[in-house]
Amino acid sequence: MIQHRLRNLPRELAQPYDWTEFRRRARERAAAVARRDANARTTLAVAAALVLAVVGIAIWMRFTRSGGPPDIAGYPMAETDWRVFEGDAGSVSGTDARANAAERWLASLPTEPVVVRVGTRAAVTGLEDRIAQLDDYLSAARVAGVQPAKLVDVEAQRALLVRSLVQVRYAETLVSASR
Amino acid sequence: MRNPTKWARVLSLSLLSGAVFARGASADPPTPPPAPGRSADARDADIQAQLDAAQKRLEDAARQVADLSTQLSGRYLKQFSKFDGPFGRVIIGVQLDPDSGKEGARVVEVSPGGPAAEAGIKVGDVIVNVNGKDVTGEEPARQVMKIIRDVKPDDKVVVRIARDGSSRTFSVKPRQKPDAVFLARAMPAMPDLPDLPGLPPSFMVDGPLSNMELVTLSPHLGKYFGTDKGVLVVRAPPDGLKLEDGDVILAIDGREPSSGSHATRILGSYQPGEKVTLRIVRERKTLELQSTMPAESGRTHRTIVFNDGGAGGITLSNTL
Repeated sequence: MIQHRLRNLPRELAQPYDWTEFRRRARERAAAVARRDANARTTLAVAAALVLAVVGIAIWMRFTRSGGPPDIAGYPMAETDWRVFEGDAGSVSGTDARANAAERWLASLPTEPVVVRVGTRAAVTGLEDRIAQLDDYLSAARVAGVQPAKLVDVEAQRALLVRSLVQVRYAETLVSASR
Repeated sequence: MRNPTKWARVLSLSLLSGAVFARGASADPPTPPPAPGRSADARDADIQAQLDAAQKRLEDAARQVADLSTQLSGRYLKQFSKFDGPFGRVIIGVQLDPDSGKEGARVVEVSPGGPAAEAGIKVGDVIVNVNGKDVTGEEPARQVMKIIRDVKPDDKVVVRIARDGSSRTFSVKPRQKPDAVFLARAMPAMPDLPDLPGLPPSFMVDGPLSNMELVTLSPHLGKYFGTDKGVLVVRAPPDGLKLEDGDVILAIDGREPSSGSHATRILGSYQPGEKVTLRIVRERKTLELQSTMPAESGRTHRTIVFNDGGAGGITLSNTL
C-alpha cells in the first residue's frame, strides 16, 4: 500500500538533481563561503592596519612635538596644546620650555577682551600685578647679592603665578568669545 | 570568524564610542535630552540657561585660581619685604641682570601684563636711560632702581633702550603696588606679619561690582556717546556706584581710566564703603556722581590691609 503510494507521488516532489550534481553544487557553495570569509578577513586586516598606522602617526607626532619648546604664538585657542603647561615639574628644561611657551602665548593675546567683565579682569590684573611685584623684588634681591639658590622657591612661585594667569586668561577669552 | 562583517561593525562602533567618550568626558552630568513636545524656543532657552551657568562656573573657577595663587605667593613676598620695594611704591614688572656690564641694565624677564610689557619692553633689551638720566657705567641695574624709587604711581617713566643695535624710547606707566604694603625702610624690627592676602579686594572679584562690564572707548565709537575717550559701561553694577548702562566713565576721583583694565585697577584700589567721585558722560552730558564703594559680599577668608602709619609705624585693619 505504502509502496504503491510512493510510486504514485507527483513529479514535483522528486529530487531536482541527482547525487552527483548535489555533491558538485555543495562543493561550489563551500568554496564561495571560503572566498567570502577570506575577503572579509583581508578587509578587516587592512582596516586594523590603517587604524594602527593612524594611531602610530599620532603618537609619533606627539613625541616629536614635545621634543622642543612648542611655538604656540600664532595658534588659535582651540588648537593650543595645553599639556605643555602641565606636569613634569621635575625637568628644569621642560619647566623652562613650558614657562617660555606660556609667556609667548600670553604675549600673543590682546591686552584685554573687547568687553571686560570686572570680576574676572580684577582676577587677571591681580595676578599680573603680583607677578610684576615678584619680578621687581627678584631684581632687587639679585642686585643686593642674594645667592641664586635662595631665589629658587620664589622663581617657582613666579612660574606658578604665570600658569595661573594662563588659565584665568584662557577662561576669560573663552567666555568673552562665546558671549 | 562566522560573520566578519559583524565584527567589523563592532570594531568601528567601539572606536567611535571610544572617541566620543574621550571627547565628552566631563565632571558634569550629561545634558538631559529636551522633553518631547516642548517648543524649540523653550529648548533653546534651556540650553542658553545651561550655557550661562557653565560660563559662570568657568569664570568662578578662574577667579578662584587667581585668588588662591596670589594667596600662596604672599609668603614669598613677605620674605622680600626687607628690600621694601626696590622701586619704591610702584611696580614696573621687569627682572634686571645685576651683571649687565657697563652698557646698561639688561632685561632678563618681563612680567606678562605688567607695565613694562604694556609699554613694549622685551627680554634682551638693554636700558640705557631713564627719565633723561643715563644708567650706563657702574651697576646699571641698581641705578635704574634708584631712579624708579622716586616715581609716583601713574607718573610716566621714559625709558630708552638698546635693541638689536638701535635705540628706542618707551613710555612706561608704573602701577601702585597692589597690596599697599608700605613699610618704612628704617624700621628697626620687623613684626611677625601674616602672609599677604589674595588680591584684589573681593568686591571687585566676586562682589557687587564683579558683573559690571566695560568697553574701552575708541574715538570712532566715542562719537555716539559725545566723547572721544573714557570707558563705556555696557552693564552697570546692580547695586552701588550709581552707574547706568551706557554711561561713559571719564575719571574716577580725577584719575582717567585709559582702558577697562585700568578702570578695574583704579576701582580695585578703594576699600568698601569709601567715597568715590565719578565723572561720567550720560546721554551726551557730563555729570559728577558721588558714590560709595559697595560692601564686600560672601567671602570667607580675611583680607588684611597694611597701611603706612607714618613715622615707621604700621596700622592693621581687618575686613571680613
